[in-house]
Parts: sequence; structure tokens; C-alpha cells
Amino acid sequence: MTDLLKTPLFEQHVALGGKMVPFAGYELPVQYKDGALKEYTAVREGEAGIFDITHMGQVRVVGPDALAFLQYVTTNDVSKLVDGQVQYSALLNAQGTFIDDITTYRINEHHYYLCVNAANRHKDVLHLKEQAARFDVHVHDESDDTTLLALQGAKAQAALQTLVDVDLELIGYYKFAEVSMEGLAGIISRTGYTGEDGFEIYVPNSIAVDVWCALLDQGAKPIGLAARDMLRSEMGYALYGHEISDAVTPVEAKLMWITKLDKGDFIGKAAVEARKAEGGKQALIAIKLTERGIPREHYTVLVGGVVSGEVTSGLHSPLAGGGVALAYVKPEHVTAGQIHVEIRGKAVAAERTSTPFVRSNVRKQ
Amino acid sequence: MSIPADLKYTKDHEWVRIEGDEATFGITDHAQEALGDIVFVELPEVGREVAAGEAYAVVESVKAVSDVYAPVSGVITEVNGDLEGQPDLVNTNPYGSGWIVKIKTDGAGSEELMSEALYTTFLEE
Repeated sequence: MTDLLKTPLFEQHVALGGKMVPFAGYELPVQYKDGALKEYTAVREGEAGIFDITHMGQVRVVGPDALAFLQYVTTNDVSKLVDGQVQYSALLNAQGTFIDDITTYRINEHHYYLCVNAANRHKDVLHLKEQAARFDVHVHDESDDTTLLALQGAKAQAALQTLVDVDLELIGYYKFAEVSMEGLAGIISRTGYTGEDGFEIYVPNSIAVDVWCALLDQGAKPIGLAARDMLRSEMGYALYGHEISDAVTPVEAKLMWITKLDKGDFIGKAAVEARKAEGGKQALIAIKLTERGIPREHYTVLVGGVVSGEVTSGLHSPLAGGGVALAYVKPEHVTAGQIHVEIRGKAVAAERTSTPFVRSNVRKQ
Repeated sequence: MSIPADLKYTKDHEWVRIEGDEATFGITDHAQEALGDIVFVELPEVGREVAAGEAYAVVESVKAVSDVYAPVSGVITEVNGDLEGQPDLVNTNPYGSGWIVKIKTDGAGSEELMSEALYTTFLEE
């Protein structure tokens, strides 16, 4: 077994009763001592939760060709970004399938900052550096120097405001500000993966513990991976390795809204256009069980009594009051046919629904 | 970690209370702690025969699905329907209101069970 990495907050997690598990090459807390449900509830119902998501990767892209380069390697239209704005996007390969999904931060037209998935970081950086050879641009992997915290929930802004001078009220949804914390430069964006208002906070490792402890002092509750996945899944947000992978294109993954075919050439564009014209090989749908049960990842989905696909993410949603899931089914089953999820050999009835499965409380602007 | 003296235990962290030919099953405090927040319990049908060591129920926590095994053989006479609405009773009161089923037992399998003292030692190993 390869050695697991530790984030700068490892000792904090252990001291808080974190149950440490291997995740994306790191040892991270799946939950703390009060358990995943209480953590979930804290974030959903009016408090602030703090998440160590340092395992995610950060890549800085700098140079005169930064915009042209990112237009070519990402799916979304980077020219639409203004300074201080964040964009959800993806990296595709030439076959049009996903290398990763990412967020793109525009610092200025020659300087961007990307946040990528932990498990894909090395693959992404290799790909970006290869592609960068044809552009006047530099790609710096800053992941090892950067701690990333998410602070999510109704009280997130009040807690974070005590630590920074910038007026957080001025940072809109999917906007960011470069800030000074403990005298060092960081980035705060109003983004997240929970469906609640909140921020993601990028700081140098040297001040990670100070910022973490200051936010705990402000009443933020530490949240582990289990509650993070519940919060993510309840919103129906895609997760690499589940809804998206190198086996599907944005057509299947319902991510054409971040894939701008009219922006000029980009890697994977021709393949996506072809797939769009011929129709996706499968389709992602949202379902809710109408009987008791939990539809978990990889469970078989039946439509009209025949095998149609499988669950990609599913959970018992406390707020939806039952089992909800995202699943891939055959394209002809997106709108028609009774759905069942096979749970331990039993066909459990489900109906089509839409995401988010529960109300989103993110800012509208 | 609570381990009541009047119960018997299995290596799979189930407990059983045997009173004559009646037995009540549940999972131990250690088991519920290891599983984390339990959000779903799948109960068997009353009248089903179970053999010692056979999976008779399923408990699901936020992240995991776990079979629950019968400590002794018998026929299920009652299931704890409260767990359908309040699966967390298994977490909050594993030896009381978090019981799972009652069975009429023939006693088969009871020779494998551990006392409180043996189970305590087993957990320490």
C-alpha cells in the first residue's frame, strides 16, 4: 500500500475525534465524533460547517496566451469571465470524454487559477503542461502548497467576515476576491458543493491551522466526507468517478450547459458535436424511491422491467424523506416506463424527479 | 462501550437475550459505533426460519450496508417495526428499544456464544 498523504490539518481532525479513512490518496475524516447526520444537519439547518478539502488540486495558468490556452483546453467559454469571476468547466480528451471537471478563476486576462479533483490532479497537470507547449503560457501546480477549506451554511459569511478585511457581502455567487489572511495572500470564492451559501478558502499551508481554528472559534462545525457527499448528492451535483468519467461525454452527463460548442475549437469539441448529433449512449436521470430503501451506487436500474442502467450516486435524504439517486439509463428510458431499483434482489419502485432533490440555498447572484 | 452482563454475544457483534425458548436479537454498542449513523433497517418477515449464522436483516448507515446475522436458530415471531421510522434507535439504545427481532429458538448455535467477559476480551484483542 502506498503511503497516504496528510493535510496540514491532520492533527486537528484527530483531536476532534475524526474517523480517518483513505480518500484520493489522503487520510481524511469520514466523520467526527458526533456523526455524519449531525454534521449534515448543521450545514443544512442554519449553522456553518467547515470542510478540509485540501486534497483538491490548484493550478495557476499565467502568460499572454492564458485565455487562448484555456479556451482550447476547457469546455466552457472563458472569454465570458470577468476579473474576479469563477466558472464551472471541464477538461475533455479528444474522444470528448471527461479528463476532469474543474472550476476556472479569472484573476486577469493573463492569469487564471484552476481547482481540480484530487484523484485527477497529476493527470490534469500532465495534460495541461503538454497542451501548454503550443501556447505562450506557464502552468504551475500549486496543490502541495495550498490548503483549501470550504465554509458552508447560513452562518458561513458571519464567521468568515471576522477573519478578513474585504466586505464579503460584495462577493457574489461564483465570484472571488484575493485577500490577505495572517499577512499572506489567499483567495476566497463564494462557491461550494453543498447547495448552501458559503465560501471556499485557499490559503498557504503555513496558516491552515490558524484559519481552521479561528473558524472553529467562530462556531463553525467540522464536517467529514460522509456528510459532504450527502450534501453534494442532495443537490444532484456531478462527482468525477460517479456521474462523470472518461467513459461519458457532456452529452450523457447533462453538462452541455458548460460545453460551449459555439466558442471556437477546443479539445473534444468534434467528438461532442458528433455525439450530440447521434444522441447520447445513455442519459443521466434523477429518481426518488416511492418505497422504502436506499438506492446506492452501482445498484441496477430497471425500466419497464428490463435492465436499463445503474445508480451513480444515491442516498437516504433526510430532507427529501427517502431514497434519492442519480442514475444512468438508456436514452429511450429518460421519460417513459416504470422505474425500479434492484436492492438486494428486490425491485423497489421509483419515480423520475428533478435536481436539486431538496431546496438549494445558494445565492442567486 | 456498554456490554450488558445478562446477554450473550457473537464474533459478528450481535447480542442475544435468551429466555426459555424465546430469544431477542440486536447489534452491540460496538457494532453501532463502528457503523455510524444508521439510516435504514431492512427487517425480515415474521414466520421466517433462520439458522444460526444466517443473515436475517440489513442495517444501512450513511456510508455502509451491513448484514446482521442470527446468533441462534429459530423462527421469527416479532420484528421491531419502530426501526422503520426510527432506525437511529439502533444507535441510541442498541440493547433496548433498538432490538431487531424476537424468535422462537431451538437453541442451536448457543454453544458458540460468548459471555460478557469473553466478548469484552474479544473486543480487546
